[in-house]
Amino acid sequence: MDPAARLGPAQIDVVAQLAVSTLLLGGIYALIAVGLTLIFGIMRVVNFAHGEFLMLGMYLAFFAFTLRGVDPYLVLIIAIPIFYLVGLFVYVLVMRGVIHASHNVQIFTTVGLSTALQNIALVMWTGDFRIIRPWESSVVLRAAGTAFNLAQVVAFAVAVALTVALMAFMKWTHTGRVMRATAQDRDAATLMGIDTDRVYRLTFAIGIACVGAAGVLVSPLYAAYPQAGLQFVTLAYVVVVLGGLGDMAGAMLGSLIVAAVEVGGSYIFGAAWKEVFYFLLFIGVLVFRPAGLLGQRGAETLGA
Amino acid sequence: MTRRHLAFALAAILITLTVLAAVTYGQSGEYKIGVLEPLTGPLAGEGKRHLEGFEIVRDMINDRGGVMGKKLTFVVADAPDPTAAATEATRLATREGVKIITGTFSSRLCGAASEAAARQNVIYWETSCVDPRFNKRGLKNVYRTEIDATGFGWYNVEFIAKHLAPRFNKKPSELKIAFLSEDSSYGQGVTESARARAKNEFGMQEVAAEYYNFQTINDFTPIIVKFKQLAPDIVHHIGYTNDAPLFWRQAREQNFLFKAHVHAGATGYGSADFGKALGNDANGAFALLEPGPGFKIESLKPEGQKIEKDFRDAVQKRTGSYPLGGHQLAGGGLWLLKLVLDRAKSDDADKFRDAVMSLDLPAGSMINGWGVKFNQEGQNANERVQHYMLQWQNGQLVTVWPEEFTTMRAKWIPLPAWDQRK
Repeated sequence: MDPAARLGPAQIDVVAQLAVSTLLLGGIYALIAVGLTLIFGIMRVVNFAHGEFLMLGMYLAFFAFTLRGVDPYLVLIIAIPIFYLVGLFVYVLVMRGVIHASHNVQIFTTVGLSTALQNIALVMWTGDFRIIRPWESSVVLRAAGTAFNLAQVVAFAVAVALTVALMAFMKWTHTGRVMRATAQDRDAATLMGIDTDRVYRLTFAIGIACVGAAGVLVSPLYAAYPQAGLQFVTLAYVVVVLGGLGDMAGAMLGSLIVAAVEVGGSYIFGAAWKEVFYFLLFIGVLVFRPAGLLGQRGAETLGA
Repeated sequence: MTRRHLAFALAAILITLTVLAAVTYGQSGEYKIGVLEPLTGPLAGEGKRHLEGFEIVRDMINDRGGVMGKKLTFVVADAPDPTAAATEATRLATREGVKIITGTFSSRLCGAASEAAARQNVIYWETSCVDPRFNKRGLKNVYRTEIDATGFGWYNVEFIAKHLAPRFNKKPSELKIAFLSEDSSYGQGVTESARARAKNEFGMQEVAAEYYNFQTINDFTPIIVKFKQLAPDIVHHIGYTNDAPLFWRQAREQNFLFKAHVHAGATGYGSADFGKALGNDANGAFALLEPGPGFKIESLKPEGQKIEKDFRDAVQKRTGSYPLGGHQLAGGGLWLLKLVLDRAKSDDADKFRDAVMSLDLPAGSMINGWGVKFNQEGQNANERVQHYMLQWQNGQLVTVWPEEFTTMRAKWIPLPAWDQRK
């Protein structure tokens, strides 16, 4: 008999476990998507190299742990400034040149950057799968018939904290207001005396710092290898479009929806179907609500 | 005679001499074959291990008089992807003039490489790839020494039905089995053949058959929750390097209990990375492989014992460790090629084929305890290419089955609670 159709007290535990899994998996997706949506929303650049910065974060955590025995959560403290600098560097070196170019040029550039970073990783660190085993990856928490991993809970908590912090930053600080103004109308913002180049630099660096931190946080859970970013980043695009370009709360909500589709779909129909379901969702959103669930109408064309 | 004429004459003599020297040297001295492996790119790690295995056995062959009375040498070419595999196979045949190409280990590469070799009418000698389609294309000069993925499925069910079932005090038909697999040709080949044999020959009860993409799977919890309700005795999981540790860790988190867990191949549970990722939590998982620690050399035929011992010593001397899967597949395959050439005394395709088909050695006759009996498709037989079940025991994969070939025994049958596998 199909287990999904079976009802009983055990079924409550199953639903509870699936809900917890959705929440925690969604946390990981949100962690990756929040930096992407920031860059997407403010710079109007689709950063196809986003996953590769995630991969670099995973490698940073791997090497810090294996060579120096540093716990990933300590690495997080240095990872954020390191990746902020990496973001600044990449912006100045690569992105500044194409920020005013057409979308095609931007896509070629970021796809090129993605391929280059993957191959640099391949040459430097080979194609081996690198797995670390810090203490937190084997701590299992149990509550009310459900079980979960400590590292996943931490990733979820950081995702929520990061989302809230970025929302507050965008809403209440002067820099945040300037960033939003630039996103709404680049030319008008320039006329108002806003240094848009500085805004873009800052946006890109914050976005990369977020995804670098995400890489460190997922390292106790997933193997690091040159194509590790691809495992998550197609999902992150779905999340961003679902939630609305540049909308942090939307990214969080989108992540949870994608995770729910994945977990529920895998349980009821089988894991082979998961991509079918969330890409159907993706297409559905593009057709019926192109601005995303929380996005402001017309946002997708703003500043283009 | 002018100076210029003299110079020309001298040059002509020199060239003639060089060519003559090369020809005679080639005739009496060396026999060259092409070795095609991925030496750069994502498959390079295993490709280099194969090359190392080839080189070790090449030296062993040359210490014993070479092939066809000549010293065996290699022309090595790099095949990081299928396109490169095809162009390099063509180059080896047309530019380097080799008559035999061996390689390429990966199921991603062997199809393209052998196709290109066949087009140039050279012999293609595959030592490792397991794609079931490899021998089904009607290519006459394409051979494989290793069994294919369907052979892995055959062995896994053999182990479950003949070894595990009696130890659970159950009939094979009373066993409930859940199949889980990544969805490449390798995972599907193993899983589908295991499913068919489990059902048709032993009447095992299949409770689930799930496929997933190993590059995008991020969470096994929903599958584990579903499997828990189905309560299988056996989980038959074919996984890769990143998904196998994820499944195992999450099964432990969810306290998913089963009696045994079986995998086949050098990836996933059969890879050293699995042990690195999980430490002693890996205890209990089975993987079908070439023989590992515990392998009893005395169980082989006398000639097999000698060559296996020499092989192990040679690998130990070069790498400082017990032979790994790549060494064993490449080394065993190349040794078998030598046996064929000894018999054919020629690299003529027809004579070579006759020699391949006439070779008939029982299991236990050569490196890895293999035997030889090729079918008309150029595939060595399942029951001759003896495979072994290894089990993770405290950080090491050790040989546990068939028991006549090993000093070690399978532990934790049935598997106890997760924290009691010590």
